Amino acid sequence: MEFCFLRILKLTMKVLVMLLLFLGNIRNSAAYFSSSSEATMHTNNWAVLVCTSRFWFNYRHMANTLSLYRTVKRLGISDERIILMLADDMACNARNKYPAQVFNNENHRLNLYGDNVEVDYRGYEVTVENFLRVLTGRHETAVPRSKRLLSDEGSHILLYMTGHGGDEFLKFQDSEELQSHDLADAVKQMKEKGRFKELLIMVDTCQASTLFSQLQSPGVLAIGSSMKGENSYSHHLDSDVGVSVVDRFTFYTLAFFERLNMYDNASLSSLFNSYNPNLLMSTAYYRRDLYQRHLEEVPVTNFFGSVMETIHTDSAYTSFTNKNFGGAKTKIFLGQSFSSSDINSVRNSDDEDQFNNLTAEEDQHNEVGQCIFCAMDSGHLWSVIIGNVITHESVDFFVCYGLVLMLPLLVFSTWLSL
Amino acid sequence: MEEISNFPLNPEPAEEETLQSQMQESTPDRKSMRTTKPGIKRLILSLTVLFSFIIGFPFLWKSIEIYRAPLPFDRIESFSSQLESDPLHFPCRFQAIFVGFDFSASRGLGPNDVAAAITHKMSQLNPNSLRCGNCGGGDYDVSVVIDSGSSCAQTEGSEARCPLKCGEVVFGGKLSDEDFDEMLKRCLGNVDGGGKGYSVVVFNGDKEEGEVRAVVGKYRHAWVLGHVSEDEAVSRTAEIFARVFMNGGNEGNSIRSEFMPVGADGRIVLSFSLLNAEPQDWIYDWSFHEIDKTLLQPVIQALQPIANITVESQVLYYTPKSSFSYWDDIHGSHIFSTKDLPFFLNSNEWHLDTSVAAGGRSKVLQLVVYIPSAKECPLQLELPNGDLSKTNGFISPMWGGVVVWNPESCVKDLESKDPDRRVISPQNLQKLFEVLMGQLRQLLGLKSDNLYVGQSGAYILLGSERGFTEWELDVLSGKHVCFNLHSCATTLGSLSRLVQSLPRMIIIDEIGKQVKFSLEAAKFAQSYASTGIYNASAVSSRQARSLVENAFFHPSIMSISYYSFEHCFAIYSPFFLPVTMHVILAALREWKRYKQENRKYLAWKAKERIVS
Repeated sequence: MEFCFLRILKLTMKVLVMLLLFLGNIRNSAAYFSSSSEATMHTNNWAVLVCTSRFWFNYRHMANTLSLYRTVKRLGISDERIILMLADDMACNARNKYPAQVFNNENHRLNLYGDNVEVDYRGYEVTVENFLRVLTGRHETAVPRSKRLLSDEGSHILLYMTGHGGDEFLKFQDSEELQSHDLADAVKQMKEKGRFKELLIMVDTCQASTLFSQLQSPGVLAIGSSMKGENSYSHHLDSDVGVSVVDRFTFYTLAFFERLNMYDNASLSSLFNSYNPNLLMSTAYYRRDLYQRHLEEVPVTNFFGSVMETIHTDSAYTSFTNKNFGGAKTKIFLGQSFSSSDINSVRNSDDEDQFNNLTAEEDQHNEVGQCIFCAMDSGHLWSVIIGNVITHESVDFFVCYGLVLMLPLLVFSTWLSL
Repeated sequence: MEEISNFPLNPEPAEEETLQSQMQESTPDRKSMRTTKPGIKRLILSLTVLFSFIIGFPFLWKSIEIYRAPLPFDRIESFSSQLESDPLHFPCRFQAIFVGFDFSASRGLGPNDVAAAITHKMSQLNPNSLRCGNCGGGDYDVSVVIDSGSSCAQTEGSEARCPLKCGEVVFGGKLSDEDFDEMLKRCLGNVDGGGKGYSVVVFNGDKEEGEVRAVVGKYRHAWVLGHVSEDEAVSRTAEIFARVFMNGGNEGNSIRSEFMPVGADGRIVLSFSLLNAEPQDWIYDWSFHEIDKTLLQPVIQALQPIANITVESQVLYYTPKSSFSYWDDIHGSHIFSTKDLPFFLNSNEWHLDTSVAAGGRSKVLQLVVYIPSAKECPLQLELPNGDLSKTNGFISPMWGGVVVWNPESCVKDLESKDPDRRVISPQNLQKLFEVLMGQLRQLLGLKSDNLYVGQSGAYILLGSERGFTEWELDVLSGKHVCFNLHSCATTLGSLSRLVQSLPRMIIIDEIGKQVKFSLEAAKFAQSYASTGIYNASAVSSRQARSLVENAFFHPSIMSISYYSFEHCFAIYSPFFLPVTMHVILAALREWKRYKQENRKYLAWKAKERIVS
C-alpha cells in the first residue's frame, strides 16, 4: 500500500515536472524560421552608433562614437539614417577644458562636435530598453521619425557599440546590461520582420567577441575588438583634456577609413586584415559564419557608406498636363472635387460593412479564450469547472469564487481539530 | 480526546487498562496487535490540510498568470497557407472585336476558334499566370466578336452587340486619339454594360492606309487601326491583353517589393523640395499651391485606394550637390554622368526629411527639384550612350526622384547686392511636374513614358490627366493587394511565432483585436478581389496590413520586460515549497501510522476469531 502511494505520488510529480518543462520549453520549440532569402536589392544604408557609458573618465567612448559618426557621414550616410546614441554629454561637461568640443586625438586638429551633429538619444535616454526598441522598431506612437530605425528588407545596417563590457554583456549607463542573448533576440526579430538585408555589428569593448555568441540570424557579420578574456585598451592619453581620448580598435578603424573617400572600393577583408594584434594589444575577432558573401568582394562602403540605386527617368509624363494649367483650373477643380466625394462615400460604406461583421465575431473570440485556458491546465475536472467559470465571468470574480469555496473547507478542518 | 489516545507514544490510562486486560487474557504481544479500531481523525485532518493545498494550487496558478489576449493561431495558420496554396486572382473579362475581318472565309475559323487561339497566345506570353494578382488564374475568359461587314458572328455568351455600331467616322481617320478613345468608350460602354472587362477593337483598313496604328486608351480598351492580317490581329490582341492590361506594360514580370513605396500604415507623404544650390546667385520660388490644386489633387484621388497620400513642399537654400561635374564644349554645358548619380544627393546639406506630418511608419517620397548655382549652370545629365538626358532627372527606388532644372539664362546679375529673387514660370513649372509625375509613376512601378514596344509592334499608351489610366490603376491595385496580403500573412506568422516563444509576455487586448480585425480585413480583401472590385480590395488589404503592423510593432511587446517561466517558479517556490513539504510529510506519516495500527487491529481480530 505504502509503495503504491509513493508510486502515485511519483507519477503526479512526473506529470507536474513534465508540465513545467513543457511550458518552459515552448519558447525553444517554437523556433523562428528564417524568411525566404530572396535576392532583394541593396537599396539603402543605416547606421546605429551607440556609446553606452557615462562619466567624464569615459570620454573616449563618446569620442569613439562621434568619430565613427563623422566617418559614416563623410562617406555618405545621411543624418536621417543615422541613429546616434550618446550616454553622456562630454562636450558640456564642467571638467571639459574645451567647452563644446570633443577631440579624438591629442593634436586637437579635428573637433568631432562641430556643426551638424544630430544626437538622437542622449544621456539617460540611452537605456537597454530604448536600444532594443530602436532595433526592433517597437516605439510609442509619439516617437518622431528621426529617432526610429526605419530600415527595410533592402537595408544594410551598421551597428557600432562601445562601452564597458564583459563576458556576454555590455554595460549601459553603469546601471544595466545588454546581454548577448538580448542582442541576438533583437536581431532575430529584425530578421523576422525584414528590417535588414545585411547587418554589420562592430563592438569595441573588453571581451567583445562574447557578445556575438548567441547570434544566429543569417546575413549578420560581427566584429569585436577583443577575444574572450582580453581587454580592449585605450590608445593614448591627452594631457590637456586629462583623459584618454580614443580606444585602440576604433583608432585603427578610423585610420583605415581616413584613407578612403566615398568612391573607394576597399573591401571588408582589407579592413579586417588591417588590424594588427600587436598594435591593438588584443585580438580583433570577426564572426562570419552567418554571412554568405565573400568578404573580399564586399566594399566597406556597403556598410560605412551609402549606396543608392538610381534609375534614369526616360521621359516626362506629358499627357498628364494636357489641359491648360494657367486658364482652366477652376473648372477642373470643381469637377474633381465632385468625384472625390463620390469615392469617399464608397469607401465609407465599405468600412461600415466590415465593422458590423467584426462585432458579430465576438462570441467566437470567447470560445477560443476558453480553449486556450483548458489546454494550459492539467486536471480534467478543473478544466471543466474553470472553463465554465471563465466563460461567463471575469478572472477576478473567479478568484474570489475560489477563495469563498475554500472557506467551508477551512471551517470543516477547524471543527475537526476542536 | 480519543484520537490522541490512539497514539502509541503517550498512551492514556484508559487505554492502558484495556491493554493490560488484553495482556492478561492473551499472549502479551502489544507490539503486533491492538484491540480497538484506530482513530481516523488525525488522518483526516492532515489530509484535509494537504487537500486544501492541492485545491489552492490552481487558484495560485490562476492568480499569478499574466493576461494574454487569445490570438487566433489556427486562423493565422490557415490564412497564410491558403494564401500560399491558392494565390489571389482577379476575374477579368477580355473581349476582342474584329471589324472588317472574315476569319471564316479565309481560314475557316469560327469565333470560338479565334477565342481559343487568343487564349493560347496569351498563356504563351504570360507563362507564370498563376502568380498572385493575375487575371483568372490561368484560364482567361475571352469572348470574340467578328464583324466582317456583311456578316457578324460572336462567341456564345459574349455580351457584345453584333455588329458593332460605332459610327462611320472610324475609317475617316479624322479623329484624334483622345476623341477616338472617348468615342470607343461610349460604344463599348453600351456593349458590355459596366465597362469592367477589357476590350481590344481591331479595325481592318485598306492597304493604302499606311502604317498600323495601335493605341491603348485611358479606360479599359485598346484599338488597332490599319491593314493587318488575321494572324497579326490575333497576336496583337493577345499581346495587348497579356502584356499591357495584365502586366502594365512592364518587361519584368515579378513583383519587386522595392517598388512598393507605401508605408506600413498605408500612407505616402509626397514631399516636394525646391533646392537652391547657391542663393547668392539666384533664389527661385514656385507657386506650389496652384500646382497642388490643379495637377496633384486628381492624381491623389486616383491613387486613393492604393495609398492615403498627403503632400507637402519646402524651398531650401544652400544645398550644393555632392558629386562633381565638368564643362563640356560640345554640349555647351556642365555635365554629370549616370555614374555620378549615386553620389548626387548631398545628405549632409540637403535636409529633406523635415516632415512633421509623416507618422512613424508612413513612407516619405522625396521629389526634389535642384537648381544649380551660376558656376555650374546649365547642368545636364549625360547618358551612358553619350546623349543628354531629356528629362534631366533620375529616381532612386523607395527614396524618390531628383530633377535638375536650369534657369533660362545662366548669367548672374553681378551688379545688385540683393539676392536675385525669381519665380519659376507656370509653363516651366508644368514641364517640371510632367517629369516629376513620370518619376512618381516609375516609383510606383509603372513606365514613365507612353510607348510600349512589344513583340508584334509598338503601342501608344494614351495618358490620363489623372496621371494614371484606369487599366494602370487596376494593375497597381492588383499588385498592391497581393503585396499587402502577403506582407500581412508573413507579419501575422512572425507575430504568432514571437508570441508563442515568449510565454510570460502580456498580450494586451488591443493586440488581439488588431490581429482579429486584420484577419477580417484580409478576408474582405480576398472576397472583394474574387468579385473583381479592385478599389475596395485594395483598401481592405491596406487596412489588413496596417493593422497587423500596428500589432506587431506594439510597444508593449518587449522581450526584456518579461521574465521566463523558470524565473516565476524561482520566485514562488521559496514561499510554498517548505510548507508544502511539511504538509505532505505529515500526511504521509499519518497515513503510514494509520495503516500500521489498522494492521495490528486486524491481526487481533483474526486472532480473536481463531480463539473463539
